[in-house]
This record gives sequence, structure tokens and C-alpha cells, in this order.
Amino acid sequence: MRPERVYVMSGNAFAVSDGQGDILVDPHDPIGYFAFDTRFLSHWVLKVDGQRLNALSRDDMTYFETRFFLVPGAASHYIDADVSLIRHRSLDEAFQERIIVLNHSAEPAEFTIRLDIGSDFADTSEIQQPRRRDVSVVADSERRELRFRYARDRFVRQTIVTSTAPVDVDEDGMTYRIRIEPEGEWITDLHVATLIEGPGGRDLRASLEEHRQHVHHTMREELQAWLDRAPLLVCERPELTAAYRQCLVDLAALRYLPLTKAGTVPVGGLPWGMALYGRDAIITCLQTLAFLPELARSTLYSLATLQGDRLDDDHDEEPGKIVAELRYGEAAAFGEEPTALYYGAADTTPLFVVLLDEYERWSGDADLIRELRHPARMALDWIDEYGDLTGDGYLRYLTRNNRKGWVNQGWRNSPDAIAYADGRLPGLPRATCELQGYAYDAKRRGARLAREFWGDPQYADRLEREAAELKRRFNNDFWLPQAEYYALALEPDGTPVDALTSNIGHLLWSGIVEEERARALAAHLVGPDLFSGWGVRTFAAGQHRYNPVGSHLGAVWPSDNALIAAGLRTYRRDAEAARIASGIFDMACTVGGSVPEMIAGYDREVTKYPIQLPAAGRPQAWSSGGLLMLLATLLGLRPSGDNLLVSPALPSGFGRIELLDIPGRWGHSDAYGRDRGNLRARRPRLR
Amino acid sequence: MGTTAAEQLLALTPERRPEIPETLNGTLRLDAYENGWTQHWYLTVTDQHVEVSRSADDADLVVRAHRTVFDRMAAGQLRAAAAMLRNDLTVEGDMRLFVVFRRIFPGKAGARHPREAARQVAAEPNSGRDVRR
Repeated sequence: MRPERVYVMSGNAFAVSDGQGDILVDPHDPIGYFAFDTRFLSHWVLKVDGQRLNALSRDDMTYFETRFFLVPGAASHYIDADVSLIRHRSLDEAFQERIIVLNHSAEPAEFTIRLDIGSDFADTSEIQQPRRRDVSVVADSERRELRFRYARDRFVRQTIVTSTAPVDVDEDGMTYRIRIEPEGEWITDLHVATLIEGPGGRDLRASLEEHRQHVHHTMREELQAWLDRAPLLVCERPELTAAYRQCLVDLAALRYLPLTKAGTVPVGGLPWGMALYGRDAIITCLQTLAFLPELARSTLYSLATLQGDRLDDDHDEEPGKIVAELRYGEAAAFGEEPTALYYGAADTTPLFVVLLDEYERWSGDADLIRELRHPARMALDWIDEYGDLTGDGYLRYLTRNNRKGWVNQGWRNSPDAIAYADGRLPGLPRATCELQGYAYDAKRRGARLAREFWGDPQYADRLEREAAELKRRFNNDFWLPQAEYYALALEPDGTPVDALTSNIGHLLWSGIVEEERARALAAHLVGPDLFSGWGVRTFAAGQHRYNPVGSHLGAVWPSDNALIAAGLRTYRRDAEAARIASGIFDMACTVGGSVPEMIAGYDREVTKYPIQLPAAGRPQAWSSGGLLMLLATLLGLRPSGDNLLVSPALPSGFGRIELLDIPGRWGHSDAYGRDRGNLRARRPRLR
Repeated sequence: MGTTAAEQLLALTPERRPEIPETLNGTLRLDAYENGWTQHWYLTVTDQHVEVSRSADDADLVVRAHRTVFDRMAAGQLRAAAAMLRNDLTVEGDMRLFVVFRRIFPGKAGARHPREAARQVAAEPNSGRDVRR
């Protein structure tokens, strides 16, 4: 069994502890208090009279606030406990913990409360083996302060722990020697400020009162306002309402303000992806346009500001490319990882154009389209100038950083994710099929933007010609006529890589599929090799590398399935779309809480319960967004001019659902749907 | 040594710079300090044109670093993002204009076009596959 993990989070900061609230380094898990890709607390252990504590219960109040109810000693003793503790943890731009000790006896009691504290300033990229750093420690009992400082040249990180109650401070922690009256209580607040000198440079030793105000009022109000801005879901299944609300809360939690300062953008998710990933961010925005379109606007701005503008081998950068990953830690700063703006992704750039166009269709925000003309044009130019690596007209990838670059630069980015059905790995550069779909879509959408907003009809014509040509050639070169699906990729010499994968659903979503082939693709997507019962597997069963617990070789991803279902509805394969959506909703409702990044690809019939994977993070922005997209897909939400079209196709058992106050260029609009099966069942029968 | 930042800034001609978005207008000031004194470069950006002068006036974006940091960027040896993360370069103001700052300096010498890298891989079929991630 994996130990229990409890997290609080805020922006790209998060704190992960065990079930008692203690933080002890674990090489397999990012445990600690992290901000800007640095671990500011690696040790945080509470003891009473030398004893560790046991948890009676916990109250996870919001994503940024948790209370632990604790007693000292072994689990069997606490029935007679005459002392108990409450540990109330909250996180905004600082970490705070209020410790309340309660004396339940009729006698005064004396205790030694000890908090062991340490900071290793590890970078998020080296959790498995943090290197030793020279950390200077200053213990100051008079100021009730313990300060850790790490410096490498001008790169400086500090952790400053302060206590409100008088305390003995030493280099390894803080000790309180207290006396509590009968039935009395004792309280201290501990404030952990992180000090970054440089980008985002901030001195966060804000007053305790400010933190409390911020967490208890501002953050709660902001969360409420965020929930209020999203449409209201009314439905017959309470677990669906709960799942919907959890998605909105997760998306609120997984936002941070990058240094581009153009508004908040989604991070990938806990625990490994608490940073801006271009792909995750764009997909999340595409998934949530009907719900929280504000995310898309700030993401487009930020990505435009971070757009590549030069050739750089280490960072796989080219002019016009949209960023893949952005980190702020020491490894990025000193080039040990290429993540201070890493561009190793071939899909982010066309998807940026797709998002820009789709955002306008929903929002009517023409000003942003004009303002971002230049980055959009650079992105479109990139596709042909830098993305077509062999000159055959297909978008391909090949890292130029042989040490740290990503070998696969689409969404299937594990090293062996692109393979033949018989297990062979194709050569590089690889042209995966979904990239061609995205490029096609980007060109068509770019054409619309050029014609309607940029006053450039000639460029629009050119893009449309190129898109049509790409579609024609793609349908020729990638189609496997015997198997009746599109190859996963093309080798450098054009040989098709014949694996059957969920990527064929992305092709439907992008519209590159010939009309008459949609039926065959839909049949594959809900066929026994791809469909597990919970969702579409990344990689079809029966192929050599198929592995139900392999991220991109068999697992089921909600974000992937959301795009697939949307694609199926585009081609009017409503029944297949409903079946997939129904499976994912069942999975999310069965698992409960945040939608996981993926589940194992085992047959639903066999396991009956979705099997969760240790590698799967949660919450994940594009999983939470994926569920929202599935909802929008089932309701058939689509902007058309200044109106919102609604065309529901709900799976049976879904009952009646209403989505109220959908924001967009129409102001606010409502959508209603009910499943047909249910309708018939309710009708009185003739005898 | 490559060209210094000062030489490069002085050589910035008033021609149209297509790599700068036409919607990005404003002012930048580069403060290059060394031995207790600071050199100020003032960049006015209008319609894809950059005009350079020497002034300590207020600007929409102020970029501050040691003179050698600017020089290394001018020589294509240092990326702006890394310099920022290391706290070797500080930035204050309208971050959208940081794009201009990045684009007036060249990239790394010897960086390859992806097609060139693809040709090299084609010449030695198994390279590029044993990448760590």
C-alpha cells in the first residue's frame, strides 16, 4: 500500500504530507512544501513529549486548507487521550500552520511540543536523488525565527519559519515547553515564508494576519466567484453534480500567475506537473471554453509572450514554436535541465492556432485575434518552415538535444509510445498522425482568422489550399485499407507505422478524416481492442507492446477520450460518442474525487472497478477539463455566429440534465438534454 | 569574443523588424551596470521599428543586468530566460515587451535548423533514439 498523501495547493505552490500532516522525504514522491519548482520544506514533523502523532480525522476544507485532528501515541491508546491537537494548515503565497493543543483532563498539564524542521531546496527534477546543498541555518529564539538559506551565485532561495508563541529555536526545529490549564488550550501559528531573489522576486514575510485574511476571505471568495462564473449543472444524478463541481474546483486550484503576468494559466497537475505545459494548458482551455473561457484568454497571451524566436538545439527551439514546458527551479536556471523554456513539442504550435480560433468562436473577442495576429502567423509559418523535417509536407519531430530532449514530442511522450503493432520502433523524425490533423485544423482555422480579422484573403486562400492538399495526401498515405484505420505514424521514408491507437479519435476531432471513413474509425474506437468499457485505450490490446498499465501503451486517459468523443460527434457518430462519455463518467463517479490523469486499460467486465495507477497524477487540469468537455459534447454545445447551438445526445441512464448560464458571445445561455432511453421507460405502457 | 551588447545596440538600424509583433509598441530601458556606474540604453518600439538612444528616462519595461550579462546575450551565449532565473538579470514592467528584448539579440551560434538535424540523423540511422526521456 502506498502511504496516504494529503495536499494543499495554491498556484504552482503545493504542500504534500502524510495523513498526520508530517513531511518526511520520500525518494519516490515529491513530499514537502514546493513553490516555483523548489522544495522549501523537506522536513516538518510534529511531536508531543517525544511521541509522533496519530490522526483521528481530517477535514479537507478547500484545496488550500486542511485540518488534522491528532492525538499522541499509538493508535490503540487514544481512546483515553487527555490531550489532543488540531493542526490547521493553509497555503496561499506562504505556508501556514496553526497548532492548537487541548488539555482534556481536570488537571493542569505540561507538554513539550516539538517541531522538527528542515529544508533541502531540492529541485522538482531531482526528487528521487536530491543532491546535497550547503544550506545555512540561522536559529533565533528571540525573534522566534528559523531561517534556511541556499545560494548559488546570485540564485538565492530562503525559507523563513516564524512562530507567534514564544519558542526555543535550534537549527533543527522549534521546541515549546507549555503548561495548559484544565480543559484549556494553547495555540501557536507557524508561518513559513519562501523568499526568492530574482524572477517573481518577492519578500513574502507578510504578516500572519494578512495570510489569515487572504486565505479565509479572499481565497474563499475567489473560489466562490470562480464557481459562480461557471455554468450551473442541474441533473438527476447527485454523483454527477459532485464530479462537475470537483472539476471546477480542481481547475481553480491548478491555476498560477506566470511571470508574463497576463492572467492565470493552468498548470499540468499534481504531483509532478505543477508547471506550465503548453500542451496541457491549450487542451485544458479548449476543453473548458463553454465553462470558463477566461482561462483561454490568459493562456493565449502567455504562450504568445513565450513563443520561440531563434534556433537553439538544447531547448529544441525554433522561431514561432509554442513552448512545451516552463520551470523556474535551479536545474532550469543553470541549464541542468532544458526546462527554462523548453520547446520539445510538435503539437503545441498548431494547437495554439486552433485555440485562438475556437476562443473567438465562443467569446467574440475579435480584439485579441487582431492583437495576436503576429504570433499566430509565426505559428502557422512554423508548421511548414520548421515542422516539416524531411520535406514531404508532414509535420514531424526530432529532438536536437540528445541528452535531455524528449524523444517523442506529441502527447504520447513516453520513449516507447510510438511503435508498430509488432513492437518495432520506427526511425526518426516521426510524423505521428494526430500532428497532421492538428496542422490541417490550424491551417483551416488560420484561414478563417486571416479572412475575417486580418484582412488577408490571399493568405486565407493559400492556407485553405494547403489544408485541402494535406488532407488529400494524408488520407492517401496514412490510411491502411485492409485494417481500415489510419497508421499511427510515418517513418522518415514514408512507411506507415501500423499500430492501432486512440489517436484515430484525434483525427476525427481535427476534421481531417474523409467522411466515409468515420464509420470504420468509430467501430474501432468502441471495439473490444480499444474500448475497455471505461474508455478508449491509448493503444489497442493484442498488439505486441500493449500493456494495460502503460501510460501510452494501454491506459485510458480522460483527456484523450474527451477529444475522441468530440470528434465522433463532429462526424455524427452520436451513439459511439455517448458510449465513451458514459464510460468515462462512470469511471469518474466510481473513483470519486478528482478525475485521475489515467486509469489502467483492463476490461471493465473483468475488474468491475477502475484500476488506478501510481503514475497517474490527480488532480490534473486536462482530466478535470476533459470531463467538462464530455459534458459539452453530450449536450452538443457549439457556437454558431452569435448563438449557442444545443444538440443533445445523451447516453441512456443519464436522465435529464440542464446546464444553465453558459457564458459566451451570446451573453448567457442555457442547454437542456435528456436521454431517450429513459424517456421511453417512463412512458406508460399499453396492457 | 563576439560583439558586445553596446556595439550591437549601436548597430541596430531603423529598418522594419518583422520579428517584432506590429501590436507591440512601447519603451524599454536596458541598464547595464559595471564598477558602480550604469549605462542606460533606451529603446522605443513603434510599428516594428526600434529606435535606440541613450537615456535614463522611465520606460514601460526596465531590464537590468551586469554589462557582461548583456554582452553574453549579444554574443548568443546566454538565454534571457536562464539569466532571469539565475537572478543575473532583473525585469520590471510590461512583460509583453520582453519579446522585443529577446529578439534584438541573436541565438546561439552553430544551432541547427531541424531539417539539418534530420539530414544528419538520416546519415547515421540509429542516432537520436537512445534519448533518456
